[in-house]
Amino acid sequence: MAIDIDQLVSDMKTAASGVLNADVSTFRGFSERQLKAIAQQAALVATGIETRQITEETEQFFLDSLEDMALSFAKTLRGLLMVTIEKVWNAIVGVLWNAISDAAGVVLPVPVKN
Amino acid sequence: MLVALREWSYSRILLVAAFLSIAGCAAQLAPPYDKTVADGLNSANTEAMTLMAATSQGTDKNSFSAREDTYNALIGTLDALALSAGARPMPKNRFTDAINKVLEKRGGKPIDDDDSTPPSAHSIKKIAETLTKMRDTDKKQGVTAIEAQAFKGQLVIYFDQAITYENFLQR
Repeated sequence: MAIDIDQLVSDMKTAASGVLNADVSTFRGFSERQLKAIAQQAALVATGIETRQITEETEQFFLDSLEDMALSFAKTLRGLLMVTIEKVWNAIVGVLWNAISDAAGVVLPVPVKN
Repeated sequence: MLVALREWSYSRILLVAAFLSIAGCAAQLAPPYDKTVADGLNSANTEAMTLMAATSQGTDKNSFSAREDTYNALIGTLDALALSAGARPMPKNRFTDAINKVLEKRGGKPIDDDDSTPPSAHSIKKIAETLTKMRDTDKKQGVTAIEAQAFKGQLVIYFDQAITYENFLQR
């Protein structure tokens, strides 16, 4: 049996869209929360230093932490993206493998690349 | 005969192309979900926010002993969680390398870090460090109301990073 290319493309798009639509809302929510919280934290630290309510004991700690939080946010976002890429990739591979299995008339288990 | 042969050849070419286009493999690009880490984080988050609520007006070093055990228990729990989270190595293969390069190019400045542990392990470690700094400051001189607010803000940010990532691994 020949593979219907148009149908295969459509099935792959559907598989990828299903994953992306769900995950993009997570990215958006996470990014908005984090950016807002980091901005508020920066404002709080600035006010605390200005009013001397943030003491010498903690001033440098909070300043160093602001930089680290921003970097850690970027790394976490990248980690989330990797999970989504994995899910999209595997969804597409699953669709392709099913199409190949149907066309070839044999059941082909999807091998895993680690 | 020739038509049949041509159709058979097209089918084979398509099959081979499909095989080649996907490199023939499913991929794992992130560590596995660990329910123990996810549950432990949620529990530690509740305990930490309870402590933050109790100290939100600032603290007096004279009453530090009443909070010391809570600080120590939380820090110990979080250090253990950071170890568990980091004990799952990040899958390392040519796919992750290629994707990392693309992501770093798009982001401009490359992220210089150790990719051998999940990002949540770093966030959890920073939560423990934040609580350690708060404990030590509390013990030495007490914590002002603004400092208490800043410690809480920092904890919320790192907890959000760690919990979001760990929950996202459930796939």
